[in-house]
Amino acid sequence: MTEKSENMPAPLSSSALFQEQVKRTFRSNKLTGLGAVIFLLVLLAAVFAPLLSTHDPLIQNILDRLEGPSAQFWMGTDAYGRDIYSRLLYGARISLTIGGVAILSAMVIGTAIGIIAGYYGGKVDDVIMQFNDILLAFPTLILGLIVVAMLGPSMQNMIIAISLTSIPGFARIARAPTIVVRERDFIEACRALGYRDWRIMVFHILPNVTSEVLVMASLWLATAIRTEASLSFIGLGVKPPAATWGGMIREGFENILDNPWLSIFPGLAILLVVFSLNLLGDGLRDAIDPKTRVD
Amino acid sequence: MHTMPNSIQSSESNPDIILDVRKLRTSFRIAGEWHAAVRDISFTLRRNETLALVGESGCGKSVTALSVLDLVPSQNGRIEAEQIQFNGRNLLGLSEDEMREIRGNRISMIFQEPMTALNPVLSVGHQVAEALLYHRDMNKEEANRAALELLDQVKIPSASSRFKEYPHQFSGGMRQRVMIAMALACRPDIILADEPTTALDVTIQSQILALLGELKRDTGMSLIFITHNLGVVASIADRVAVMYAGNIVEIADVDSLFAHPTHPYTEALMRSIPRSDRDTETLHSIPGQVPPISRMPDGCRFAARCDLARPICRKLDPALQQINAGSTHEVACWVRGDHDLTAIEDRANG
Amino acid sequence: MADTLLRIENIKKFFHVKRGFPVAKTMTVRAVDGVSFEVKRGRSFGLVGESGCGKSTLGRALLRLVEPDSGSVTFDGQDVLSTNASDMRALRQRMQIIFQDPYSSLNPRKRIGAALVEPLLVHGLADKRQAHERVLKLLDEVGLPPDAANRFPHEFSGGQRQRIGIARALTVGPELIVADEPVSALDVSIQAQILLLLRELQESHNLSFVFISHDLGVVRFFCQDMAVMYLGRIVETGPIPRIFEEPLHPYTHILRDASPVPDPRQSRKFLHIEGEVPSAVNPPSGCHFHPRCPYAADICKKVSPDWHQVDAERGVACHLFDTGNTGPDYPKR
Repeated sequence: MTEKSENMPAPLSSSALFQEQVKRTFRSNKLTGLGAVIFLLVLLAAVFAPLLSTHDPLIQNILDRLEGPSAQFWMGTDAYGRDIYSRLLYGARISLTIGGVAILSAMVIGTAIGIIAGYYGGKVDDVIMQFNDILLAFPTLILGLIVVAMLGPSMQNMIIAISLTSIPGFARIARAPTIVVRERDFIEACRALGYRDWRIMVFHILPNVTSEVLVMASLWLATAIRTEASLSFIGLGVKPPAATWGGMIREGFENILDNPWLSIFPGLAILLVVFSLNLLGDGLRDAIDPKTRVD
Repeated sequence: MHTMPNSIQSSESNPDIILDVRKLRTSFRIAGEWHAAVRDISFTLRRNETLALVGESGCGKSVTALSVLDLVPSQNGRIEAEQIQFNGRNLLGLSEDEMREIRGNRISMIFQEPMTALNPVLSVGHQVAEALLYHRDMNKEEANRAALELLDQVKIPSASSRFKEYPHQFSGGMRQRVMIAMALACRPDIILADEPTTALDVTIQSQILALLGELKRDTGMSLIFITHNLGVVASIADRVAVMYAGNIVEIADVDSLFAHPTHPYTEALMRSIPRSDRDTETLHSIPGQVPPISRMPDGCRFAARCDLARPICRKLDPALQQINAGSTHEVACWVRGDHDLTAIEDRANG
Repeated sequence: MADTLLRIENIKKFFHVKRGFPVAKTMTVRAVDGVSFEVKRGRSFGLVGESGCGKSTLGRALLRLVEPDSGSVTFDGQDVLSTNASDMRALRQRMQIIFQDPYSSLNPRKRIGAALVEPLLVHGLADKRQAHERVLKLLDEVGLPPDAANRFPHEFSGGQRQRIGIARALTVGPELIVADEPVSALDVSIQAQILLLLRELQESHNLSFVFISHDLGVVRFFCQDMAVMYLGRIVETGPIPRIFEEPLHPYTHILRDASPVPDPRQSRKFLHIEGEVPSAVNPPSGCHFHPRCPYAADICKKVSPDWHQVDAERGVACHLFDTGNTGPDYPKR
C-alpha cells in the first residue's frame, strides 16, 4: 500500500511534530505523565531540601530516639534521634546526585564508544565490543562491588563504580542505530563533501542516536539509584553520618523490630523513584518506537 | 463492502465482459477525515483481454485492484460502488467467506516484490501446492504434481530439483515466476498484476512480460496490469486506462492511445519519457506535482498543471466521453473532449 | 576535442563476504574487475548495466568512498588514489555525488538550510552571512523556494528532495558529479523535471557527469558517451549515437532491444533472452556473458576476451566482434 503513504497530507513542521508526539504520548499513556510528575516532585524535594526539612538531618537527639511518626517528627526518628523525614530529603540529594552524575557520565562515554565502534566497524568494532561484552557479563551489583572495594567507599568512587557498570549498556544502545544510520546515503554525502570523521559522528550520527540513548538513560537512572542503595546497604556507600537512602535502610535494619518505619520510608522513597522513572522511560520508548515515528 | 443507496443492478450483462466496475469509490481515513483515493471510476474488462492501469504513484491504480478483491483494510478504508460485477455476479455485498472463494481462485494477484509476498520459511513447491489444496479438491500428492507442472509452465529451469528450495535461493526473476505460478494455480479468470516487473532488470522484465503474454494466450484468462511504465504498457496491453489523482482520465485501445494521446496529462506523460529507441532533443516536463489526497482541488484535478486549462476546468469535473461518436477512445477533459465548450461555460456562468 | 577530466584505469574492487553455516566460508565478490574509461570535460558519461554489474561500486570507488583495491584514478592530471587526506579534502570540492534514494540521502534531523550551509563553512568557502546568501541562490537554482531552508527533509516530496541533494552537491562548486541513478526512484513527470534541471546546471556550471543508470532511455537523453557493464567488467564503450545505431557487443544489443519503448508497433514482440545475470561471487569462466550469448563459441567459454579498441572512440570486449557473427539481424525476434 505505498499509494496510501504517498497520499498522506504534507506532514506538520518538525517542532510541531515533536510536540504532537509528546502530547500524544502523554495523552495516550496517562502513566507516563504520572511518572514524569512523580519524578519531578522528588527532584524538587531534593533541590529544596533545606526549605522543606523540619530538622537538621545530622543533629542527634538521644532523648527522641526511635520514635514513630508524630506531629513533631513526621516520619519518626532513628536510633540517634535524627528526623527521618529530613534525612530522607537530604538523602534524595545524595542518591539522585550519585545516580544522575554516574548515568550522565556513563551516557556520554558509552555513547561515544558506541558511535565510534559502529561508525568505524571492522576491527575497531570487534575489539571495543568484545571488551564491552566482557563488562556486560558481570552483574551490575557485583561489578560495582568490586570497583568500590578496590577504590574504597566514597561518593566519588561510588559514582565511578556505577558509571563503569552502565557504560557498556550505553555503548550497545548507541552502536545499533549508528550502524543503521552509517549505511544511509547522507553519511556518504558527508564523506564526499570532505567532512572529517569527528564531524560526521558528532553532527550527523549523534542526533540520530540521542532519542534511543535518552530513553535508556531514564530507565538506567532507576537502576543506578537502586545500585547506590544496595551498595550503601551493605556498607560500601557514602560514609555516615551523611544520609543516603540505602544507608538509612541499613541503619533501620538494626532496629527493625523496635521501629520498622526506619526502613519502610526510605524503602518507599526508592520504590517511588524507580517506579516513576520506569513509567517515564517506557512511555518515551513507545514515543520513539519506529512504528509510531513519522520520519 | 457497502452498496451505495442508489445502486442499480446491472440489467444487461454482456457475456464477453468478465469484470464490470461501475462508480467505484475507495476512501481512506486520514487524521479522522475520509478522502477518496479512487473517485467514481468505471471500467470493463473483456475475456482474454489485458487492461493496463497506468499512472504515477498516488494515482489510485493499486487501490483500484485491491478494491476489486475487497482487500482494502476495513478500519481505515471504505469501498463504495454501484457494482463490481464479476462473471455476471456482483461482488459487492459478498460475505468474507464468499470473497475468499473468489480470491486466489477466480481472481488472483501478483505483486511487485515477490520476496515479501512469498513466505520465506516454506519451500516454493509447497506454497504453490497450498493454493491448490485450499481451493481444489486435491490430495497432497496431486497438488504437488500439479504445482510442479505449474513451475514448469512458468519456465523455471529444472523445476523438479528446485521444488523443495526456499524463496531466498531464487533470484528476483525466478521468484516472480513462482508468484505467477501461484496466481495461475487455480486457473483464474483474471490475474491482477501490480507492477510485477518494476523491481526487475530489463532483460528479466522482457522475459516475464513475454511469459505473461504467452500464458494469457494459452489459458484465455484476462489480465489487469498495473504499471507506471508506458513502455511496458505498449508492449503488453490491449487496452489502457490512464489514471490521475484517483480518476480515469483517458481509456482507449493501446494503438489508439499511443497514436492519439488526447488527455493533456497522457500527452504530457508521453512527451516526458526519454526514449531508448530514438534521440530525444528535449523532454517535456509537467510542472508541479500531484495534489495530496487530502487537498484535492475542485473540478479537473489536473487543471493546475495543465497548459490548456480554462476557467471551467477548475469548477466542474469532466466525465469520460468518447472523443468522437462511436469511438471506444474516451477522455475526461473539457478542452479535448467532444464538448460544446462555449455552451457549457455559459451554463456554468449563468 | 574536449580534454579529459577524469581517467579511470584498471580499477578493481573485490569484497570478501562470509557465507555458510556452521562453517562460514569466505567468498570473493568481484564487484569491479578491471575497468577503464575516460570522461571528457563538460560531457556526461553514462555507466549502464543491470543490478549487480558493479556500476554503483565503481562510482563510489572513483570518489574513494570505497577504496579501490588497485588501478588508478586521475582527475585533471592529479592522481586521486595516492592523494593524502588533506589534499583529498580539497579534491572533494571538485568531485561530488548525488544519490538514487531521496529518502536516504538527507539527514532527517537537519534543516535544509543547515545542511547546505555546512559544506561552505567546513571548507571555508564563505562566512556565515555569505553562506546564507549562497544557499538561497542555490535553492533558487534548483527550483526551490527560499523558505525551504527552514524546513526538514520529511516536509518535501521525492522530487524536491532530489533537488535538495543536487543543491548540496553544488555547494562546493564541483567540476565532476557522479550521479548514481538520480532519477530511478522518481515518477516519470518528476524524472523529466530533474533531468532538465541537471542539463541546465551542467550548462551553467560547466559540469561533467558520470551518470549511472539502468535506463537506456535516460542515458541516451542525458549522456554523450557510455560504457556498458556486465558482472564487474566493461563490455563496450563509445559515443552514444554510434552504440545505439550499431551495438558491437551482443549484450549491448539485447539491452537496447529489451528496453520497452512507448510505441505498441515496436514493442509487441519480445526478444528471446536466455537466463539471468549470474552471481558475481562465482562468475562464469571466459567471457562472463557466454552462458546467455546466442553466439558463444568454444573460445568464449574458456578465454576472457581482450579489449578491442575499434577506433579512437569505440571499444568492445568480445571475441566475435569482427567475425560478423553478431550482425545486425541479432537478436532474432
